[in-house]
Amino acid sequence: MVFAHGFGCDQNMWRFVWPAFAEEYRIVLFDHVGCGGSDLRAYDIGKYASLEGYADDVIAICRELDLTHSIFVGHSVSAMIGAIASIQVPELFDELIMIGPSPRYIDDDDYTGGFSEAQVHELLEFLDDNHMGWSQAMAPVIMGNPDRPELGQELANSFCMTDPEIAKRFARVTFLSDNRADLDRVTARALVLQCHEDVIAPPAVGAYVHQRVSNSAFVLLNATGHCPNLSAPEETILAMKIFLAGERSAAQNVGP
Amino acid sequence: MNQLIEDLEDLFDNAPCGYVSTGPGGHIIMANRIFADWLGRARSDIIGRRFQDFLNIAGKMYYETHFAPLMRMQGFFHEVALDLVRADGSKLPVLVNAVERRDEKGALSFVRITIFNASDRRRYERELLEARRCAEKANAELQNLNRTLEERIAEAVEARMKSEAALRQAQKMEAVGQLTGGIAHDFNNMLAVVFSALNLLERRLAKGEDVSHFIAAAKDGAGRAAALTQRLLAFSRQQALAPEPICANQMVAGMSDLLHHTLGEMVRLETVLAEDLWQVLADKNVLENVVLNLAINARDAMPHGGRLVIETANSHLDEAYGAEHDVKPGQYVMVAVTDTGVGMSPEVMAKAFDPFFTTKEPGRGTGLGLSQVFGFVKQSEGHITVNSALGRGTSITIYLPRYSGAPEARNHSEAQMPVCGNGSETVLVVEDDEQVLTLTAQMLRDLGYHVVEARCGEEALGALSAVPAIGLLFTDVVMPDINGLRLAEAALERRPDLKILFTTGYSRDAVVHNRLLDPGVNLLQKPASLEQLAAKVRTLLDG
Ligand SMILES: Nc1ncnc2c1ncn2[C@@H]1O[C@H](COP(=O)(O)OP(=O)(O)O)[C@@H](O)[C@H]1O
Repeated sequence: MVFAHGFGCDQNMWRFVWPAFAEEYRIVLFDHVGCGGSDLRAYDIGKYASLEGYADDVIAICRELDLTHSIFVGHSVSAMIGAIASIQVPELFDELIMIGPSPRYIDDDDYTGGFSEAQVHELLEFLDDNHMGWSQAMAPVIMGNPDRPELGQELANSFCMTDPEIAKRFARVTFLSDNRADLDRVTARALVLQCHEDVIAPPAVGAYVHQRVSNSAFVLLNATGHCPNLSAPEETILAMKIFLAGERSAAQNVGP
Repeated sequence: MNQLIEDLEDLFDNAPCGYVSTGPGGHIIMANRIFADWLGRARSDIIGRRFQDFLNIAGKMYYETHFAPLMRMQGFFHEVALDLVRADGSKLPVLVNAVERRDEKGALSFVRITIFNASDRRRYERELLEARRCAEKANAELQNLNRTLEERIAEAVEARMKSEAALRQAQKMEAVGQLTGGIAHDFNNMLAVVFSALNLLERRLAKGEDVSHFIAAAKDGAGRAAALTQRLLAFSRQQALAPEPICANQMVAGMSDLLHHTLGEMVRLETVLAEDLWQVLADKNVLENVVLNLAINARDAMPHGGRLVIETANSHLDEAYGAEHDVKPGQYVMVAVTDTGVGMSPEVMAKAFDPFFTTKEPGRGTGLGLSQVFGFVKQSEGHITVNSALGRGTSITIYLPRYSGAPEARNHSEAQMPVCGNGSETVLVVEDDEQVLTLTAQMLRDLGYHVVEARCGEEALGALSAVPAIGLLFTDVVMPDINGLRLAEAALERRPDLKILFTTGYSRDAVVHNRLLDPGVNLLQKPASLEQLAAKVRTLLDG
């Protein structure tokens, strides 16, 4: 079972979830290049300018570990990265678990992505201001200067510790990509886990993904926000287990 | 109790920061008045919503992707810079702290969010960033300025150097002018001596009087003119060198009489000669001249007497030194001439080797001494250094390449040649200058030889066929039709046993390979005395 984190986080975000599967499955956790504990020197602007670059890494990891017919669990942007990897090498994954997926964040004629073009650009400008959401005074601390012990080694060392330049680029691919067409080509059995009140990936988007991925189940969790794996791990685990245990028809019946 | 609660409520509502509490589901359960005032909303409008609902779009996203996960994992976050959106759509920059409160069982009871108005702080930050950007820009401009400044200085320096070089060239030309005048003057004097001596000779001869005195005067004048020409050729590095293996120690020792005589009684001569000194390959006469020149300069620098030290040593010039001073690294024989004289200022030192540069009064200095030394050293692929300071004396050191061949005694040194070499063989003289031809022919006839005269190569070859008795071809090198070397080749084809003697006054000729004489080629430098001519011709015919 391969877990892939989304924008803003690293593999730490799975810490409440993966232990529930450790007995049954071989667990694979990794950080995307440019995030967490990855080797920043491996970051290649050209390669990671599209989600395919990240998907290639997922394929490489599977090849390296000799994985086929495994389960891919992707959060947010990584749900799409897993989908792309599964299209390219279908035997890699039998199941795709997509948590808060979005194939496109910007609204289109008859598509609701949740954001207007202007809003996404506001976000990217915000990034360009280099605020990263942290005050200027805090940013250096967050970027790995833990002379404020209350922040904790863990935070200082990995979580949210991103090179600002890479963070900007990752945000750019995440929020500007349009991978709607890929959804039709997904053949793996898929589960779309959707939260209430998710501003990043609103329920309409989750429903859209479910509709276009032919062999998919859709679960609307009671959890709110964008990270049910963190805020509601038990509910998330349960939904995943039911999906993995059940036949396709059974899985479809799960959820409200 | 009521009092306390009232007090706490007042504190809560009127604290200098916004307080918000959210329940386990993330919905706001409590907010203070300040927060509501900041948003410009009624509290009832706020309760039940989520904190991120009041953030701008970027804040919403960052809250969801970064800070909510962060709080979930470490239980709090500090000093996150976000923008609240007020009811009227305007923005309020805030700093947000949040901490989770959990019950005994570890379940999340609520999240306390504390919000500080950060308008000022954000403005300072912006100003700071702006100031930094300005500073960086100014710095970049400064660097740019520096760069162009460097370029401009480089240009100015180059222009300056060009004009200085032009000035030097002009000065040199002026010096050349002066010198040419000087030489012309000297030559005229010398020629006047020769002419008047010859005139007198002519008249006295007619009367049958003793003429030896005038002959001596004419010879002296011509001899001095020849010496001057030699010096000019030397600094133009065009003299024909006849190098031979030399031991510099022997040479210096052999010069001791000459040096003592030259230096006078006021200067003490010391020699420090290294044992087992390597040999050098050099023209002995020229090298002697070099040492003599240096000694004369030293003498002139010590008008009230002093010490002159001539030192020899084996020396190795390494790669680094060679690269720095443009000389081939390797083994050299060093000859240093050091005096305790007045020394040179840096300005004089910089020009000392320039031809015609002299600080001596007209008539005493020609400015050719050191340039001649320099020319010789360079022509010999050697190296020269000067060490001097005003009042501290001068040391001039020359390095000549070591010669590793076997010491080879020269078959004939001119001094050893028989002074008189008469003969009766037939000599073919080829010379395009009518005067020189007649004179040379006359000298040979005086020595007893039969002479056939030719004015060009063609005539010479004709004579060779016509007169089988010719045993020696004596030819000028530079001639209008074919040069002496080609003539010699053609002659040898016809007469393989023919002896050849070249003569030239100017040696940038075909006779000279790499400006050194080919071994086996016999050359008589013009002008030659009767004795030199006699000796050379005799030796060749006997050889
Ligand atoms: N040993 C020395 N001590 C001081 N000055 C010297 C010495 N040798 C040469 N110089 C300076 O270098 C100048 C040039 O020398 P040189 O070329 O030999 O020409 P000249 O001796 O005819 O002046 C001299 O006029 C003198 O100023």
